[in-house]
Amino acid sequence: MICSIIVRNKGSFRHIAAFGLLILLIANILETYGKDFFHVNTMQLLQFDRFGFLFNSIALGATLIYVLLTGKEIEKSGKYAAEYFTLIFFVLCGIFILSAYDNLLMLFLGIEIMSIPLYILTGSDKRNLKSNEAALKYFLMGAFSTGLMLMGIALMYGGTGTFQLEVQRISVGMYKGVSFLEITGLLFLMVAMAFKVSAAPFHFWTPDVYDGAPAVFTSFMATIVKAAAFVAFIKLCDVRMTATLGAIDWKLLFALIIVFTLLIGNITAVFQQSVKRMLAYSSIAQAGFMLFALFNVNDVAKEGLLLYTAAYSLATIGIFAILVKMKDYTFEGYNGLAKTQPVLAATNTVFLLSLAGIPLTAGFFAKYYMLAAVVKTGSYIWLVVVGVLFAAVSVYYYFRVIQAMYFRNGNAATETITFSFKTGLIILAAIIILIGILPQVLLNWFYF
Amino acid sequence: MHQYLFLIPALPLAGFLLLSLGGRHLSRKIIAWIGVGSVSAAAIFTIILGLQFLQAPPPEGSYTQTLWQWMSTENFSCAINLRVDALSLVFLFIITFVGALIHIYSSAFMRHDRDYARFFASMNLFVCAMLLLVLADNLVLMYLGWEGVGLCSYLLIGFWYETPANCHAANKAFYVTRIGDTAMAIGLFLLFKELGTLNIPEILQQAPQHFTAASPNITLIALLLLAGGMGKSAQLPLQTWLPDAMAGPSPVSALIHAATMVTAGVYLIARMHVVFQLSPVAMDVTAIVGALTLFIAGCSALVQTDIKRILAYSTISQIGYMFLALGVGAWSAAIFHFFTHAFFKALLFLAAGAIIESLHHEHDIFKMGGLRKKMPLVFWTFLAGAAALAALPLISAGFFSKDQILWYAWSAGNGSPMLWFVALAGAFITAFYTTRLMIVVFWGEMKTHIGEYPGRAMTIPLVILAILSVIAGFIEWPHNMVHLTLFSDLVQKVLPATMLQDDLPEEIVFQIIAAATALFGVYTGYVFYQGNKALIEEWKQSSALMQIRNFLFKGWAFDQLYDALFVRPFKFLTRINKSDLFDKLYNGIALVSRRLNQLFSISQNGSLRWYIVGVLIGIIFILTLQLML
Repeated sequence: MICSIIVRNKGSFRHIAAFGLLILLIANILETYGKDFFHVNTMQLLQFDRFGFLFNSIALGATLIYVLLTGKEIEKSGKYAAEYFTLIFFVLCGIFILSAYDNLLMLFLGIEIMSIPLYILTGSDKRNLKSNEAALKYFLMGAFSTGLMLMGIALMYGGTGTFQLEVQRISVGMYKGVSFLEITGLLFLMVAMAFKVSAAPFHFWTPDVYDGAPAVFTSFMATIVKAAAFVAFIKLCDVRMTATLGAIDWKLLFALIIVFTLLIGNITAVFQQSVKRMLAYSSIAQAGFMLFALFNVNDVAKEGLLLYTAAYSLATIGIFAILVKMKDYTFEGYNGLAKTQPVLAATNTVFLLSLAGIPLTAGFFAKYYMLAAVVKTGSYIWLVVVGVLFAAVSVYYYFRVIQAMYFRNGNAATETITFSFKTGLIILAAIIILIGILPQVLLNWFYF
Repeated sequence: MHQYLFLIPALPLAGFLLLSLGGRHLSRKIIAWIGVGSVSAAAIFTIILGLQFLQAPPPEGSYTQTLWQWMSTENFSCAINLRVDALSLVFLFIITFVGALIHIYSSAFMRHDRDYARFFASMNLFVCAMLLLVLADNLVLMYLGWEGVGLCSYLLIGFWYETPANCHAANKAFYVTRIGDTAMAIGLFLLFKELGTLNIPEILQQAPQHFTAASPNITLIALLLLAGGMGKSAQLPLQTWLPDAMAGPSPVSALIHAATMVTAGVYLIARMHVVFQLSPVAMDVTAIVGALTLFIAGCSALVQTDIKRILAYSTISQIGYMFLALGVGAWSAAIFHFFTHAFFKALLFLAAGAIIESLHHEHDIFKMGGLRKKMPLVFWTFLAGAAALAALPLISAGFFSKDQILWYAWSAGNGSPMLWFVALAGAFITAFYTTRLMIVVFWGEMKTHIGEYPGRAMTIPLVILAILSVIAGFIEWPHNMVHLTLFSDLVQKVLPATMLQDDLPEEIVFQIIAAATALFGVYTGYVFYQGNKALIEEWKQSSALMQIRNFLFKGWAFDQLYDALFVRPFKFLTRINKSDLFDKLYNGIALVSRRLNQLFSISQNGSLRWYIVGVLIGIIFILTLQLML
């Protein structure tokens, strides 16, 4: 339904892209409130619900901010600027399918529509060997996970005889109608999804790809795309995993994955020398936090995931927007930024504080909701403790950047910063603080 | 009108934002307009609101404005609500009105300072935080204001940060009040644990049903809250930071360390009066702390030579009176003393600031002298403030409020002759050191050449405050004289009336004794410093007396005591601990994470084979887990 609008924007530049996104955003918000434009019979393949619409709005809003802030950099990153924007729109198309799929085949299609343009974007810096290497790796690993996913779907079909997400179960046998095949298929599917959200131990591609890809596209991949994978994942968990809880202890499985993801993401991020690579690892750590929502899917978790998506995406887009302006991506490159570019340093500080989850920023409530979702289960309190401890660890590496900007002497070199760029950053920082002080603005809107 | 309540704290906040973000690009004139204007506008709003409140009191006794819900989960919610009742109205008026006068004064006082914008930005932020503190309808928001004023106090004490001593003083103020703040935070957690709410009206309503009177829980909570108040209000044993805090500019001392912030503890206790009433122990402790503080600080004020330190000790001592009044259950008397004290102490600090500036930053009173003829306006206004501080009967605001406290110290439900006697001794000392200060500074011969005279922006606030220091007392008369009790009528809408003991001596007897004590104190001061100067010289020869004098001069050597009791043992422990267990623990953590990091880095070797193997191991692990479970 929405895809058809997207395709029209093909072959356009930054302004048209931003304009198109704005129209989509408005259309999407209107649709959230029940104003249909046209009906398409989706034959039980797609199911649009409020959660999906809300996520689409966030994804569109974030992309809009992303294009507005870093549009110029996208144009600069290679020869074929128009194609890059088109590819981004293709990715968005995949994202919309993922937020609304009701059929495992659509899940597969959505993941593929989303991933394939990303392989290209990763390698968009054609003359850069690193970029090429990253693209190849991403593609090969992606192909591997696609295989796993198809295998999982096939097994599930074997187990239930349908591709539908929701299965009518007849309560027979010890597993209440859950067959062994279905469980195994689900496990494969879970692995494939864990791969997409870069949960450990399926995260290996992430640092290499994020580091190798041009920073503008890393920003896109690490935020909106990852969040979309999470939305697909949570839908899967919500329906299938809750139904099969009796057959397998999903909670324990997720708890293990969360702990492992948090451990690897945080510990590795601590010792990085490059801010870009640190952000890649920190995105693994943040994924660990988002996995809390899958641990026990309830309304708090869903709201929390949306809030987390918004908070995390906004902050990360801002950090990357500043990063691409830096001449040197290492921590030393940030030394003394507060003296040379006070606005950049100040807004970057707000973004970093939000990522670290400091109160009065959006990130605080995001983390709070994630942990609250687990506390609600009553058990697994130790998992919350682990989460809080690792949040504390994350403060270390986020604050290293702040320390470099404010307390180290140096001459941080940046490209020319325009006034509109600064204004954009200030607005973004203001939004993050506003959500931190007035979370109700966003949350009231989230209730479904 | 009350729908515009949010403007009162929002205006200074806007001033702060403007000045801190754009201060560098603004001219001094505009900075002054923004800084002074925001607080003055807040004062005007407050006065309009106050008049409305007095004319048509709201039926439920308060206006509430809900701004937004900050946080709401199953068992905890925190709304950003502003609430004005009679008690907060009094504080609101003092903060904005006296605050505005001090801002006007500062616009001239700080005119040569390099960081003009930073000064006004901090002052505006302070006013905003203080307003939040008194307007908050729940303790979380109040705590935000509480920490906010602490932060601003720190920033402004260390305003001239290039002098290391100033930074040291700022740090000291921050650390010492932090002890109280931590205690208060624990108290809040306990309150929440017991009652499940931090909303003030709800606490006041539920506490009597939830707690049995004098139970250990409520006593603990009340004492913890009291500790918070003691830190902020510089009461024994956390009083040591205030004299050093005088390192800040004089307007800061007037606003933060005399009129408003240091009375936050008084506000807290009055606000939570139900909690305190449930715990007789906490009430007694409050009264005793107040009595001891007023006496100890008063003695120290006797021998100080720095004009601002005299005033600082006198502030500690006057807040001691307020705590004493709270402790004996004389709620409205405490607030009334806060009300008058804010005027005369702000006045004294501002006048002292004017003198110090005119005398080329001379703080030592013995290098002043003879200023009566040279600076008549400052002299007369200072005199009005000093009269109020010394509580000269009937012609000063201080008399009415202090007399009330003295009377209740004996007669109120929790009062006792002992408390009364200490308070009376304190009154004598106060009158004595005030007279000493007046005579040494304004009589005798000139010792320092006068530089610049204060301009009109500085003198007008002085005059207004001087007038208020004389007449502010007339709104509340003792019962047996004129039947006019406007102030207690207002405040007792919120706070309970003071219970009296049975069969007491006549009130008039107490008043005569109090008045006589004050006058006697003035007379003694006159004898020592004007009538018979030889006596002091004679005493200076005696080593025993000089030792006592030095002991008092150092503020009863509390700093040295704490240094010996806490600082040095702590430093000692840290020294022997330099390379021990705790370090090892943290180094161990660092080592473990470094090793883990190396391990993970090996796994991240950039070769796809390894990655695939890693994924496969993960899958095998998960499938095995499934089979096993």
